[in-house]
Amino acid sequence: MQKTLTYTYALLLVLTLTGALLSSFSISKTIVLAIVAFSIAKFLTVAFQFMELKNAHSFWKVLIVLYGCLIGGVFITMLY
Amino acid sequence: MDSVSTQQKSIFYPPGGILIWIVIYVELLTFGMAIAALAYYGSQERVLFHQHSQLLNKTIAAINTVFLLTGGYFAARAVYYFKAGLYAKTNRFFGWAIISGLAFLVLKIVEYHQKLEAGLTMNYSSFFMNYWLLTAFHWLHVLVGVVILFFIRRGIQQKKEKASLDDIEAGTAFWHMCDLIWLLLFPILYLLF
Repeated sequence: MQKTLTYTYALLLVLTLTGALLSSFSISKTIVLAIVAFSIAKFLTVAFQFMELKNAHSFWKVLIVLYGCLIGGVFITMLY
Repeated sequence: MDSVSTQQKSIFYPPGGILIWIVIYVELLTFGMAIAALAYYGSQERVLFHQHSQLLNKTIAAINTVFLLTGGYFAARAVYYFKAGLYAKTNRFFGWAIISGLAFLVLKIVEYHQKLEAGLTMNYSSFFMNYWLLTAFHWLHVLVGVVILFFIRRGIQQKKEKASLDDIEAGTAFWHMCDLIWLLLFPILYLLF
């Protein structure tokens, strides 16, 4: 459990730094997609691992995944 | 352990209890609508939003993201230690989570000071109106989260094993919610325009 939390934290840091570095390049469609994908991946990782939604009923899992997909979809639709 | 697992798998018992998750989803919905509006305005005024987002300090925002993620990690570890009955470690990790939250709050104030010095107030543009409203509202949430963690930590110091796991998980869930909201605000305000 401790190791899982630490690996999750390391993954979140890598995704954050990668997203920030990508944004320093001129923004293209691919970069927008990558940054949005990283952000939603981080969002869901925090929800499932740190907030322990992985142990919750499927209803709560589906709800948070739907929300993440909806926000990601809004980002991409508006900015792509 | 089986009864705990069964309880957590029930739709009425998400980690921390159903009430905090209703609060979390209401907050996510509220911020989600504001973020969608920001993305819509950004799509209408692409050049202005691009130019004005370049006036923000991405380095400070990235460091702040690390602070919040670190705070979330420490809080998750603290809950793990509480479940294991290791109260001293629980308190230590909650303490570090509080310090991470305070670091976020202070660095955000530094960023706000820079913006005010440069005259980038709420009236400067529609981008900055959204920036101030969203980030200030989030800042208040982080402040509340720090206060909640402080009281959780004090409760564990005073009562130890009598402290309620549900209360601790609920308070920690609120803290993680601040992470969730920031993880959406960070890309839309600082990276994507």
